[in-house]
Amino acid sequence: MSLPLAEEQVQKLPLEFADEKESVNITGFWMFLVTDVLVFGSLFSTYAVMRHSYAMGPTADQLFKMGPVMLETLLLLTSSFTIGLGVFAMRKGQTRALMFWLLLTMLLGAGFVTTEIHDFVSFAAIGATWHTSAFLSAFDILVGTHGAHVTFGIFWALTLLLQLRKRGITARTARKIYTFSLYWHFLDIVWIFIFTFVYLNGKIV
Amino acid sequence: MSQVEQPLTIDEAYNQDNDRALKFLRPRFHEEKFPTIQILGYIGSLILTFGAYFLVMDHVLPPVSLLAVILALAVMQGALQIGVFMHVREGRGLAWQIVPLYLVFLIAMGMVGMSIWIMLFKSGVS
Repeated sequence: MSLPLAEEQVQKLPLEFADEKESVNITGFWMFLVTDVLVFGSLFSTYAVMRHSYAMGPTADQLFKMGPVMLETLLLLTSSFTIGLGVFAMRKGQTRALMFWLLLTMLLGAGFVTTEIHDFVSFAAIGATWHTSAFLSAFDILVGTHGAHVTFGIFWALTLLLQLRKRGITARTARKIYTFSLYWHFLDIVWIFIFTFVYLNGKIV
Repeated sequence: MSQVEQPLTIDEAYNQDNDRALKFLRPRFHEEKFPTIQILGYIGSLILTFGAYFLVMDHVLPPVSLLAVILALAVMQGALQIGVFMHVREGRGLAWQIVPLYLVFLIAMGMVGMSIWIMLFKSGVS
């Protein structure tokens, strides 16, 4: 949120905060993330209640294979690190380095989504779809909503890459990169809780 | 008669603040020459993740305490992501986002915790 600032204080701020309108946009994006916590909170509540309702279908322990899940976790954690380095490069004004880290983040995100889709298809192949049981309905909607967020993020990053190529680092593109990094780290946090509460918890029997 | 007030600079605003509420929201920016904190954050997140994985796979604890421990590790990692990578203390003037963030974590934990709690009484509702 902005306060009236003296000019010499504004000079010291990073680009995206030096511009008053863009800094308000960043605060607005935090408010969006707060509401998104509630979306995932509701889905986690549903899963917490339904997670033992197997209805003759496979149990969590029978269904989950930890290999692909660990791969997805590693890809997403690494992509969170690379976009962090991207923002670091942006603060130094290094456009090409920023574009490299952003592209790498997109590729890691695409690897995550591919592995996840492959996992979901292998579940469907043994008849474990969201029609099977309340557990699988809650699982598919929780993990699927997260996967849809990541997919959307990849396309968002693509538009940012094009804007960076055309306009370079300006107050506006810097704010967009900054809010994208907030979004991406937020998805990483949600995944950590899915990894812990859904996958690892499914293996505790 | 109303009078137009002079805008305060951040420092003046902090100095006028008696109940220290603004100090809690005072922004801090990440400024380093080398991304040391990002690298440490990444290594920390890997240790927490694989730590939780091996705790579960080796069944080192009874189920209930195991779940409590891995959830604690997940919360630690969430805090690490917010603090290290999301620069939660950055803001122009005041880092106001911290207030709704605390609020929504309280609401989300209440939502999940109370859903689990109320469904413990299944015999009464089914």
